[in-house]
Amino acid sequence: MKYTKELVSTLIIILITFLLAAVLIIVAKYDPGMALQSFFYGIFGSLHGFAEIMVRATPLILAGLGVSVAFSTGFFNIGAEGQLYMGAIAITFVGVFLPPMPPMLHIAVAILAGFLLGGIWAVIPGFLKAKYGVSEIITTIMFNYIAINIVGILVRTVLKNTESALPYSPVMPKSLSFPLLLYPTRLHGGLILALACAVLIYIIMKKTTIGYELRVVGFNKRAGTCSGISVYKNIVLASLISGGLAGLAGVSEIAGVHHRLLEGISPGYGYIAIIVALMGRNHPVGVIISAIGLSALQVGANSMQRQAGIPTSITSVLMGVIVLLALGKNIMFSGILKKMRIK
Amino acid sequence: MAEAGTVLYYIVTLFAASIRMAVPLTLAGLGESFSERSGVLNIGLEGIMLSGAFFSFMAAYITQSIIVGVIFGCFGGLLISMIHAYMSFKCYVDQVIVGIALNFFSLGLTSFLFMAYFGRTTTVPQCPVVKPIRIPLLSDIPIVGDVLFNQDIFVYFMIFACFVSYIILYKTVWGTNIDAIGEHPKAADTVGLNVKKTRYITAIINGCLGGLGGAYLTLALLGFFMENITSGKGFIALVVVILGRRHPFGVLFAALLVGAAEALQYRLQTLGSGLPSQVFIMLPYVVTVIVLLFSIGKSSDPAALGISYKRSSR
Amino acid sequence: MPNLQLKDIFKEFPGVIANDNVSLTVEKGEIHALLGENGAGKTTLMNILYGIYTKDVGTIIWKDEEVSFKSPRDAIESGIGMVHQHFMLVPTLSVAQNITLGIKDKGYPFNNRKKVVKDITELSKKYGLQVDPTQLISKLSVGARQRVEILKSLYRNAELLILDEPTAVLTPQETDNFFEILKKLKKEGHSVIIITHRIPEVIKITDKVTILKDGKNVATVKTSETNENELSNYMIGRSLKTFSSREEVIESEDNGLVLEHVGLNKKLKTLTDISFQVKKGEIFGIAGVDGNGQKELAEVIAGIRKPDSGTILIAGKNMNRASFKTRKKAGLAYITDDRHHEGLVLDMNVTENMILKDYDQEPFSKKSIINYNVVREKTEQRIKDYDIKTPGVKTPIRLLSGGNQQKVIIARELAVGPSVVLACQPTRGLDIGATEFVRQILINKRNEGLSILLISADLEEIVSICDRIAVIFEGRIVGIVKNGADLDLNKIGLMMAGHIGETVNS
Repeated sequence: MKYTKELVSTLIIILITFLLAAVLIIVAKYDPGMALQSFFYGIFGSLHGFAEIMVRATPLILAGLGVSVAFSTGFFNIGAEGQLYMGAIAITFVGVFLPPMPPMLHIAVAILAGFLLGGIWAVIPGFLKAKYGVSEIITTIMFNYIAINIVGILVRTVLKNTESALPYSPVMPKSLSFPLLLYPTRLHGGLILALACAVLIYIIMKKTTIGYELRVVGFNKRAGTCSGISVYKNIVLASLISGGLAGLAGVSEIAGVHHRLLEGISPGYGYIAIIVALMGRNHPVGVIISAIGLSALQVGANSMQRQAGIPTSITSVLMGVIVLLALGKNIMFSGILKKMRIK
Repeated sequence: MAEAGTVLYYIVTLFAASIRMAVPLTLAGLGESFSERSGVLNIGLEGIMLSGAFFSFMAAYITQSIIVGVIFGCFGGLLISMIHAYMSFKCYVDQVIVGIALNFFSLGLTSFLFMAYFGRTTTVPQCPVVKPIRIPLLSDIPIVGDVLFNQDIFVYFMIFACFVSYIILYKTVWGTNIDAIGEHPKAADTVGLNVKKTRYITAIINGCLGGLGGAYLTLALLGFFMENITSGKGFIALVVVILGRRHPFGVLFAALLVGAAEALQYRLQTLGSGLPSQVFIMLPYVVTVIVLLFSIGKSSDPAALGISYKRSSR
Repeated sequence: MPNLQLKDIFKEFPGVIANDNVSLTVEKGEIHALLGENGAGKTTLMNILYGIYTKDVGTIIWKDEEVSFKSPRDAIESGIGMVHQHFMLVPTLSVAQNITLGIKDKGYPFNNRKKVVKDITELSKKYGLQVDPTQLISKLSVGARQRVEILKSLYRNAELLILDEPTAVLTPQETDNFFEILKKLKKEGHSVIIITHRIPEVIKITDKVTILKDGKNVATVKTSETNENELSNYMIGRSLKTFSSREEVIESEDNGLVLEHVGLNKKLKTLTDISFQVKKGEIFGIAGVDGNGQKELAEVIAGIRKPDSGTILIAGKNMNRASFKTRKKAGLAYITDDRHHEGLVLDMNVTENMILKDYDQEPFSKKSIINYNVVREKTEQRIKDYDIKTPGVKTPIRLLSGGNQQKVIIARELAVGPSVVLACQPTRGLDIGATEFVRQILINKRNEGLSILLISADLEEIVSICDRIAVIFEGRIVGIVKNGADLDLNKIGLMMAGHIGETVNS
């Protein structure tokens, strides 16, 4: 019976979301039939659509995993966006300033650097939270704005490609590119990295003492302290892992998609990752599913924009509403469920 | 002699600019102070301001009336804060998460509607902007007077709102009730104070003032709207609330501090130093973090902050 | 004609019938006890009367009129006041602000401090309830807070006062003072309902007793026509268990736990110069009114707080700088007084809670990998051994009853073979069955030769199972006495109020 209730609630959420989308589209005087058609065509219409969903899901899975680890530990990391950019900066530095290396080693160094720099960008707020109780929500947000501006500064100064007038870094060497998985689409090896990280995070969180400590601290800090589990250590550790994974999302975007640093490489992946973690209930499998789902929503929305001219920002509205409905469903739908005699 | 005068004038105009930059932060910060004192943490303040900025712009653009713009600014803020209240008090959802979701919602809604209405245009649509009001006598003071007492109505309203908030919070029973509800809602409930109603009222105050703060961006500072126009001002306002310890004049002071960083940022950008402009754009955010560090160990949050109250819980 | 009549009140919570056709009558000027053990439905009944809960079925008649209060405000306006067990005072506000909270006085909405302070002073003189109206609640002692609570009701013209476990936190002397106040209230024509599970005070102060058991009316008797044994039989269906005497004790001169001149927070004098030894095969009790440093003492011993001075020895080893984990390895078990916030992770299941202190030890984990097969087996074993009632090992611990939650903690702490047990308020909030179970286990462990430190604000508990009793007052041990037939309770009461007593070492 519990599953029926879940299923019906989910169906209601999907229905409401569709209705809201329809209302927005009609109110804004776009063509709803065209919108619907292009939305589904974008997602299911071609191999390219499928590949595009996976390409966009890759950074969402990585950053989403990161956010989920932080949330599980009670660290509200809203800063995945900035941490992602820090990872992107790290791989660019590796590409521009380090001597040439064999491909495997080169990419490994970049991954490590991205993890560390992304991690450090989260550890600072983590440290401030654990040591002084400074609200991480605010510091991580501020760090997002700072990181984005740092990218802006770097691509105009030390990382600038001197042969171009545009604020871009030089193109990365071939050894710093992920292999393409499904030529001619953009699907790249970052997806494998993301899935591997999901497995790793699953094992750490569910099977090891490290994950056990993190979860205890997330649920009840005081009980942790009284059991000899250091709240300080675990919050710092969680922020490191969390920022590191978001940093990997940045590495993956450079190595798999853009191949050089420029402004605006993330269309808010770091923010969407928060919703990915929330909808995925902080579970790696849930994160993968919700990352693919939200990615499909975006790919469909892009297709709507191309063919029906509908602004893609409609996805933000819908994502916000989906989260609200999902969180409040038990109380919001209790009346409807009662009428349908579902307990 | 002339040089000293120029420097003085420069400082005074910078101060005047700081005041203007502080208006949205102070208004939103005051609203959030009411909310937080009653125990409700609304991280969706960014969304409130953004919604206020958008709806005030649209109303002012369509009707060409600033007053209508102001009313719709309040309405825009209220829209977000009422959803937050409903989700928190009725559905008992974590207040922080609701706030995060609402920021998404507000960002998406405002830019969708803006794009839908104006399409992809090259010309930036403009709305009417408030004009300064000269206060007789005071504005006649040399240098200082013209800058400080020749401000727009929002600036005067900000000062007025600080005084009124101070009186409500510290001189009336209402303020005591709000504090009691934020500190120990169950105790307040058992003596017959209506916890939910009071929190709805502070949410209304928060929505209106936050919406006005957003409206100031479009109706006074800029005269136009663009996607994510608040760019983190709502979060900065949250810091202002912490640093100002939820005291109206504390909030005003903290907002002036951050406002000064912003005013300075614009000045430095126009100065032409050869540095990328991002160096300066970054400044207010860096200052905000530093300001937050100064409040370490000093803040004393209401005991029930962020916890929704459920009566019959056993 | 009775002042208050409750008729056939029925209230069901999901899964539990809290009140099953309960009836109660109270006369004007009567002190009425509502007696029953934890979970008998006393507080629920009073919360229904006070408008916090709504009844499912039944009638309430108050001053000849049928009433149904929808909120405490209705009850207050009709002249009913309630002092909850956990005081409903806002610590950051002043006494006067708390007393007048929610009242629309003259000058509303503006503050009228002068008049309020004058009124409160008059009222406190009339009833002998001494308080300083301008003081912050957070600065007051527990006894003073209780006086504020009573004043709060009287200020609102309460004719009927409901007091939930009013003596639980008071010293014997404060209790006497409190009884005087009750008598004054009675003389002024107020009715009083006292919710309690303490039979002696029922006998001492009340006019009439209504006994509840498992949500049902058991009996209503005049206090003058009953005695302790009868009441106990009504309350739990048998006489109270008395625990085995000292004869079984293994005499030993070895100390399991030693504290020498331990101090914490010199400025605030949280703990000052605490010295005592707990022998093997001994239950050493720390008595005292809540908030006199008990919690801090427990945390210093457990290693959660670091003392400024002094020495702590566990099983002969110096533990001054040791972490909780090191102390645990040395043989310390810690049963905290706050199950929900410190002892358990309510969002985790029974299995996960069972390894909260040992998750990083073999056989539960090796090289950081937790072996959940072993964990489940051990958990199932302990559920059997300690008779823990749970639907399954994966049930969220939140869903277990308080007694079973405490059993999980005790199983976890004691199953690994500790040599020193630090038990802080181990029976707080448990029903009588679970309470006796916990006390019996502590006695068994003593008989096995463990050193047991029992910190409890419940003097009855201390007296019933401890071998020696220390009294703590404002962070100091004011005396240590031997328990036995000749124990002078009056003297312990005086020590609990800060009078220096003697010290006995064996």
